[in-house]
Amino acid sequence: MHQLWFTRWLNALFARPADALLRLLHVAPAHPAAPIPNHVAMEILAALIIALFAVWIRPRLSVDKPGAWQHILELLWTGIESQAEEVIGHDAQRFLGFLMTLAVLILVGNLMGLIPGLAAPTAQITVPLGCALVTFVYYHMQGIRRQGWLSYGKTFLGPIPLLAFLMLPIELISHLARILSLSVRLFANMFAGDMIIQIMMALFPLAGVVFMTFHFFIALLQAYIFVLLAMIYLAGAVESHHGPAEEAAVA
Amino acid sequence: MRRYWKSFLTLAAIFLAATPLFGQSAGAGAATGSVASWVPIGAGIGMGIASGLCGIGQGMATAGASEALARNPGAAAGIRFSLILGLVLIESLALYTFVIILMKT
Repeated sequence: MHQLWFTRWLNALFARPADALLRLLHVAPAHPAAPIPNHVAMEILAALIIALFAVWIRPRLSVDKPGAWQHILELLWTGIESQAEEVIGHDAQRFLGFLMTLAVLILVGNLMGLIPGLAAPTAQITVPLGCALVTFVYYHMQGIRRQGWLSYGKTFLGPIPLLAFLMLPIELISHLARILSLSVRLFANMFAGDMIIQIMMALFPLAGVVFMTFHFFIALLQAYIFVLLAMIYLAGAVESHHGPAEEAAVA
Repeated sequence: MRRYWKSFLTLAAIFLAATPLFGQSAGAGAATGSVASWVPIGAGIGMGIASGLCGIGQGMATAGASEALARNPGAAAGIRFSLILGLVLIESLALYTFVIILMKT
């Protein structure tokens, strides 16, 4: 198994506790000397990058003289805020923390694939699946919290009581398919981009550079799309079920 | 002339497909299992159909959005929102095919 430098370093430090943790969960590690795979190490690195950046930027924020990074962050924040207010409505402020975390983690994870010596953690199915599961649990939690168990459960039965037996399986399947579509979309885009870059680099190096530029925009777009779909699902859960966003979000 | 040309092309296509089919010796795929040797061909055909039809669908969606933008530039935000949403939902169909191919190879 090929290990990136950060993975090798993590495995040298934490191989034994990671093995113990895996055994606690009754999983036999495939390589006991190197139990941490590349994508897990890269996700830890992404979280570290974000946390260290936040610690670094925190004392440098100022109202009078905003720096370059502050401008970039404010642009990102106001972009997501205005999009969320457009989709969810006035009470979008409560969900901004979750949406922003998701956006920054996926964005950094996607962009790490373009840096030599690193790999995109989102190019493995487990990492987008984790993000999709968190989103799924979060929007159901918010829906139950906003509408209560009974009236939230009633939205699964559809508007017409006579057709409830037909609507319930359709609604359940469409809600479960959201996990599949969210995770597969991000994973397949990142993986296909990586493979195209690899193949083009092997054929003609200059074409590989062109595809890396293309992949950069795909990385930005996929992070935006993941957050946009999370917003739409949230809007469908917390609002009454005849909003325009709910009708658009069938898959 | 044109009719003969058409039937000639059809015949050529049939022979192109048929020759490797009959020319393959029985023991060629025996080492890995003879089913597995057809997977790349199926993957190519399936991915071609999926991405081609997705291209048609996305092209129609983009054409509609561009026309709407040209007629009513004031509604750019809403049009862009539904365009991106539609493109994403169309694109995921091709990506499902890609993932299925990935699982089968």
